[in-house]
Amino acid sequence: MELPQLFYQICDHSFFGVFLTLFCYLIGLWIYERTRFALLHPVLIAVILIGGILIYFHIPLESYDKGGDLITLFLSPVTAVLAYEIYRQRKTLASYFLPVIVGCAVGSGVSLFSVTLFCRLFGLSEEITASILAKSVTTPIAVEITGMIGGIPSLTVVVVVLTGIMGAVLSPVLIKLFHIKSKVAAGVAIGTCSHAIGTSKAIELGQTQGAMSGISIGISGIVTVAFVMIMAALL
Amino acid sequence: MKIMKQLMILFLVCLISYGISLVLPFAFPASIISMLLMLLLMLLRIIRPESIRETAELLLANMAFFFIPSGVQIIAYYHVIRGDVLQLLLVCLLSLVITFAVTAFTVLGVIRMMGKSE
Repeated sequence: MELPQLFYQICDHSFFGVFLTLFCYLIGLWIYERTRFALLHPVLIAVILIGGILIYFHIPLESYDKGGDLITLFLSPVTAVLAYEIYRQRKTLASYFLPVIVGCAVGSGVSLFSVTLFCRLFGLSEEITASILAKSVTTPIAVEITGMIGGIPSLTVVVVVLTGIMGAVLSPVLIKLFHIKSKVAAGVAIGTCSHAIGTSKAIELGQTQGAMSGISIGISGIVTVAFVMIMAALL
Repeated sequence: MKIMKQLMILFLVCLISYGISLVLPFAFPASIISMLLMLLLMLLRIIRPESIRETAELLLANMAFFFIPSGVQIIAYYHVIRGDVLQLLLVCLLSLVITFAVTAFTVLGVIRMMGKSE
């Protein structure tokens, strides 16, 4: 649908992206809180709504990004405040330091290996494989890795967010399915396979899970970079 | 006033971390440095938890929100994955379930080996 020129001029201001993101996130929260249906994750609803609106009204992504980039800017302070959550759980972290480190290392290795394996199995191209290899780690690290091995960084961002949403949606189910009673194990597993978006769910599950998930984002990210560097050097 | 001061502290830590990432001999994301630096500053009691509490709790409660604009970028790259959407979703799902299970059981195994219980 085409709208008058004035509309597109208005949309080209940063106010538009910021407003639209807040608006769609609140709709997402509203729907999620009323249905409590895990698949209706607020971020998933918001992304679909925003994407749909931009496409339907032919609003350029560049116009949305003027405001969207301002929100993305906050990813750094948001990651920094994870330290607050970890600090509050420092005693738990100190007594489970070894299991957390080993869990993150093994999990990151399995993630890289399983992505490579399934991409081959499903016949995905080298370019797509390289773009989604680091999908389990936090966006800035994943993009860095994709750059190192010749993938498409923007595709990485999308798949990282997708994996995060999957982790947030599925982690309560997986905890039940595998009978994970340990809060530490649940937290580390969430953080290792679905970074910060998964962690937002871990925080809902409890303080211990949230903190362990938070620290696992950092450790898994570091370990994954190391693994990829070693793999790249060997191949 | 309180929130403004807390935001200032947060962005200062991010700024210093960005500086650190520039001088590091290898590529490493500034946001992870800022998390580690913040933790270090809190453990050293240079930043007290009270100095960032309200802002930290606000940001943590809405953490997923800040990823929305990154997710919206899909509309620009949809053509790259158009033929492979189902396979891509399957790879993500299978890899997620396997990684989750292996990680959780590894942590449990190590806790047991150490003879600890929660």
